Amino acid sequence: MSDQLKTEKITTDLLRSIRLNKSFLIWMGFLGLAFLICFGAYGLQLKNGMVVTGLGDYVSWGMYISNFVFFVATSLIGMLISAALGLSGQKWAAPLARIAEIIALAFAAVAGLVIVMDMGRPERLLNVIIHGRIQSPIVWDMTVVTVYVLISTLFLYIPLIPDLKICYDRLDKLPPFARNIYKLLSLNWTGSPAQKKLIKQSTRVIAIFIIPVALAIHTVTSWLFANTSRVGWDSTIFGPYFVTGAFVAGSAAVIIAMYFYRKNYGLKDYITDYHFDKMGQLLVLVSLIYLYFTLNEYMVPAYKMKTSEALHLSALFTGIHAGLFWSVQLFGLVLPIILLLFKKMRKPLPMLFIALAVLIGAWFKRYIIVVPTQEHPYLPIQNVPLSFKIYTPTLVETLITIAPFILVLIIITVLSKVIPIISVHETIEQLEENNQKD
Amino acid sequence: MLKRIIDLRVALTLAVTILYCANDFAANNWNVPVDKKTKNSYIKFDAASASQGEAIYNKNCASCHGNPGKGNSLKSLSPVPPDLSSAKTQELTDGELFYILSTGRMIMPSFKNVLSEDERWRVISFIRSSNKSYVQTLSKFDPNKSKLVKINLNFDPATHNIRILAIANEKSGVVALKDAEVALFAIRYFGRLQIGKSTKTDKDGMANFKFSKDLPGDKAGIVELVAKVNDENYGEIESVTKMKVGIPTDKPALNKDRAIWNVLAKAPIWIIVLYSFGVLVFVLVLLYLLNNLRKLKKTGDN
Repeated sequence: MSDQLKTEKITTDLLRSIRLNKSFLIWMGFLGLAFLICFGAYGLQLKNGMVVTGLGDYVSWGMYISNFVFFVATSLIGMLISAALGLSGQKWAAPLARIAEIIALAFAAVAGLVIVMDMGRPERLLNVIIHGRIQSPIVWDMTVVTVYVLISTLFLYIPLIPDLKICYDRLDKLPPFARNIYKLLSLNWTGSPAQKKLIKQSTRVIAIFIIPVALAIHTVTSWLFANTSRVGWDSTIFGPYFVTGAFVAGSAAVIIAMYFYRKNYGLKDYITDYHFDKMGQLLVLVSLIYLYFTLNEYMVPAYKMKTSEALHLSALFTGIHAGLFWSVQLFGLVLPIILLLFKKMRKPLPMLFIALAVLIGAWFKRYIIVVPTQEHPYLPIQNVPLSFKIYTPTLVETLITIAPFILVLIIITVLSKVIPIISVHETIEQLEENNQKD
Repeated sequence: MLKRIIDLRVALTLAVTILYCANDFAANNWNVPVDKKTKNSYIKFDAASASQGEAIYNKNCASCHGNPGKGNSLKSLSPVPPDLSSAKTQELTDGELFYILSTGRMIMPSFKNVLSEDERWRVISFIRSSNKSYVQTLSKFDPNKSKLVKINLNFDPATHNIRILAIANEKSGVVALKDAEVALFAIRYFGRLQIGKSTKTDKDGMANFKFSKDLPGDKAGIVELVAKVNDENYGEIESVTKMKVGIPTDKPALNKDRAIWNVLAKAPIWIIVLYSFGVLVFVLVLLYLLNNLRKLKKTGDN
């Protein structure tokens, strides 16, 4: 096959997904309907207040804040795959960069909304701006989340510019308004050396800059907890502990996305078993680091067993949260590490299931960090009903917790419908580079 | 062996029952002295005094006794505080209610030094307001008589004693208030701190209080003191005096200097620098990138 034909094939393959088809409409219809139901639940919360949730004076951060931490965590993967691996010359990760960026952008953008959902009076969000004190981690959090969303948008957009031009040129069957949007966004791209240089420089600056920003966003999230004196949160390693945990959740999310894109978009030649194998190894690596931090986080206080800590730890190790605690560690961390050590398990289908277990485990891991601490304050809880002491989420709360997931899926689905999820021009460049070597 | 265990059980059950009954008995028996039983209010129990009493009640009583007639008293206490609109409470005389409210007993606190006599009668006016068959007997006491009383405080630095002198300026001449109950308080942030114990005035209308040497005062060592005198003939009189009896204290307020917990204008410098630096770097990077995009578009035009 000549180079011309190969280029032609790559372009056709990667642009094939950009069209409206029946399965897309059915899937979006399903997501839209599910979102409407969850939004109705949110309407109930707005109307009746936080009383519709299981939250109270003692456990005031429940599933919503667990969800927030999870969303911020998952969004960190964009930084790891596109920036860290890219800068360190790991070429295998290049085709996965855009998938990771789409996931990062979707989760980061929705994370901000999740916080608003936790507010009984969402219009008071403005008070953070009007009355915020820069000593407060909440203000830092709002700042870094905004910065990360903006930078992630640019990180997705700038390397996309050449592809947008290709979309405009090739997708002549699209309605004129859609093509005009591609034209507008491609910013007069001609592929001249000057333009290529600008894109390369900009991408490099973002790739470097996004690393501290991504570290900051999740470190600040961890400080929302660690800057208090509460049992289970009062820890000096919460920053790195959260960041490594984030890589575990994000890698799992990317693996799941890879599986579905490969299957539904016919990208078997581009996302190959080799990529799954590499991602499997990456997941083992980040999981091992996370396991090490987890061990530190529980082993050190458990060895000392201070009175106040003991109550909390025994609830986790042998008490009411023990089932969840050990399942999360076993099925969300230890077993995936062991399984992924075998090459046979680093194939697409087994990895899909392992990644699902890791992702579900990652969500409940956040729940285990957020909720039990609040059930064990320093001052004893007295003269209150049992429901105040033990947090039980309600149905309405559960639906509102599911809503952000649906929103993320909608954003990912729409984005991957309008842009090629693997960079066309980079794949072609890679091909040309390989040919020059030969 | 088995029999002994059963015997033990019987004994235990009996003991618990007796204790429980004793507790119940104690809860109903206030041992109000005869002369206090017949005491009556000089304040007329009407809608106005009841509504003032309700405000005081909600602040001081409702947390345990609940709202009269609602049956929402705090059930976790032992004995359970009674609903004050109940027949059992309403059977008591005004004097008995006043005595119970003033002295307190077991878990019921004393309100003698928390509420003034006036306020206590208004609370009772509120408690009575739900009882349709209640008819008040007004006391003949004239509260205006208390205006004749003058209270003098005198501090003796040598002995660190405060002497209180209570006299009434009657038309017939000066009369010393003898055998009147006197209490002394220092005003603190969260209420009154009683100095020593309540005592009675002597025949010259005088009472002595030993004042501690380590009570913090303001910058100049000044402490605000309240002397409270309760006399059979003149009623309850309070007098507030500022005296230099404390240790001069001048601690800077916790919100004086820059600190993490302070307002935005007093944030620590290092946080302002770090935060502003972070935001500045971001703005610069953003401007650089946007400028690159502008250049990109411009190059394409040519």
